[in-house]
Amino acid sequence: MPRQEWSSPVDGRQATELVGAEEGANATPSEALVRLCPESGSHDASASQLRTSRTSPLEHWLRVHRRQLILAAFVVPSITYVIIFFAYPLAYGLMMSLENFGFGALVKGSGPFVGLHNYKVEINDPTTRTALMNTGIFLVASVVCQFGLGLAIAQYFNRRFFLARFLRSLIIVPWLFPPIASGTIFSIMFQSDGGTINSILRDLGVIHAPIFWFDSAFKAMFVIILVNVWIGIPFNMLLLYSGLQDIPKDLQEAAALDGAGPWRRFRFVTMPLLRPVALIVIMLGIMYTVKTFDTVIVLTNGGPDNGSQLMSTWAYTLAFSNFQFGLGAAIGNMLLIFCMIVAFFYIRATRREVLMA
Amino acid sequence: MNQLSLRAIWRGYLRPAALPLGALGIVAVILLPIYFTVVASLEPTSSIQALPLTLVPKHFVFSNYRAAIDAESGSVLTSLIIGAGTVALSLAVALPAAYGLTKLGYLNSRAITSVAIMVLLVTQMVPGISLSLAFYNLFRHIHLLNSIPGLILADSTSGVPFAVLVLRAYMATIPAELSDAAYVDGAGEWRTFRSVIAPLALPAIVSAGLFVFLFAWGDFLYAFTLTAGGSVNPLTTGLYRFFSSNYINWGPVLATVVFAAIPAAMILSFGQRYVLGGLRAGSLKG
Repeated sequence: MPRQEWSSPVDGRQATELVGAEEGANATPSEALVRLCPESGSHDASASQLRTSRTSPLEHWLRVHRRQLILAAFVVPSITYVIIFFAYPLAYGLMMSLENFGFGALVKGSGPFVGLHNYKVEINDPTTRTALMNTGIFLVASVVCQFGLGLAIAQYFNRRFFLARFLRSLIIVPWLFPPIASGTIFSIMFQSDGGTINSILRDLGVIHAPIFWFDSAFKAMFVIILVNVWIGIPFNMLLLYSGLQDIPKDLQEAAALDGAGPWRRFRFVTMPLLRPVALIVIMLGIMYTVKTFDTVIVLTNGGPDNGSQLMSTWAYTLAFSNFQFGLGAAIGNMLLIFCMIVAFFYIRATRREVLMA
Repeated sequence: MNQLSLRAIWRGYLRPAALPLGALGIVAVILLPIYFTVVASLEPTSSIQALPLTLVPKHFVFSNYRAAIDAESGSVLTSLIIGAGTVALSLAVALPAAYGLTKLGYLNSRAITSVAIMVLLVTQMVPGISLSLAFYNLFRHIHLLNSIPGLILADSTSGVPFAVLVLRAYMATIPAELSDAAYVDGAGEWRTFRSVIAPLALPAIVSAGLFVFLFAWGDFLYAFTLTAGGSVNPLTTGLYRFFSSNYINWGPVLATVVFAAIPAAMILSFGQRYVLGGLRAGSLKG
């Protein structure tokens, strides 16, 4: 099968099996054939003899790794990009958080080194504690609600009925709006005077005086959670729906024939099979929610009296309103650490797919 | 007998009707805010505030849209330029990277590809606020604050990792035999990339490009923090500032909200499955 030998080294995967040598994979067809000969195997001793007779070690290395080097050149711009736009700014952010980076430092680009002072200040700041607690409440309430509602809707649509496709496609309409636009819609709807929500509640006879939705931390938090859930439902619904679609129908039917009711079918057939998708959806939901910024700025701006401040908006307020970039960076880095922990679990959960792909 | 026929009625007539009706109810509740936006944006300015907003449209006036165009057309243009620039930059970086990672994965360098994918996944999870604090100070010194190039660079931080992941996932599905054939015919890596793989990956390129455009179009955080002066004003900050200064006059604000949804609406109506396929490849398949 000479055809096989000539075409497979390019593929690499088969070449490894054929040649059984590490370097065979990136050799050109002729080099691979040379490598098939026993005396030029991948052992250093024989390889170095070969090398000295023909080329310098560097030249030999370059020749063996030629394809890899050319392909690496394709990747270099993106590596440079990640260094300039992620590694460097994050290192800069770490540096800022260790300096007294106030208004004066803004002009110079650096301030006096103060060690972990900014972190100590922020941990003892009551507003930081509020922001931490709010972020926790916001996170848990948002993710639980949008996942629960998303799953319920996905289950509902996981049946055949008239107009199902059309109505399902309408659920992603909220996605069309940038978060700041969604925030603006709800900000207007929740206005105490003339807002739709108060009008509807009044017309239904639930309230007699307008509710001021943004005058207490509790109500403000309720509104920003509601808006975030509204934004998150389409994403959750869509991914969970496709997860449900991937579950073979005959499994459900077999369970039904065995006498399992709807709840038991959901608990013992749907849930275990949906688990991988559900985990990913939940982790992406956590990532998205913990970074929420736009909607909170337009709805409450962290108020009243920092009552609905989240970590993201608090970092913004410290840096851009109070010009305390050192303190803002300290909060930003705490948020970053949390995100990296979630990222770790996300990658662990998806690792198999990442490595297989 | 009676029970049986009731069940037959439920099965035969009621259930086929009840399921779509229930679904309609779900959709109605979810879409209520959008319905309100459209209805209110068509009300004459005077009556939005004065009347409690009912759910039935009373007027069809386009004065709000005219006011929104007068106030925000410059912002729309700015956002279009930033979106196009972000797409161009992101694809320019991501396309060769995706090709290189795909081919390195075929060679004995699978570990390099896996590590690169993990790094890209991690960069996607970096909160924008952490980056924007640094960008503000870095851009300040190279005069990129309040500039369109500055926002293109900042917005590309969400575009590049996403585009690499989507494109690589797609390129991995292109049979290796095709580029092998080009190789045997004497094409180098660049030629194979340009003439074989990039044309074949066009669906993924379009899908990634559209999503990157939407990221840039919807970005508020960078626009808000990196354009403090307001001389460069994309639609998102335009909407925010418009709303802040027009707290009473909601009509034009809501008309601007509708404008903000137009690009995504166009993209989704032209190729929903296509675009969602791209998203799924990017988010689930790594």
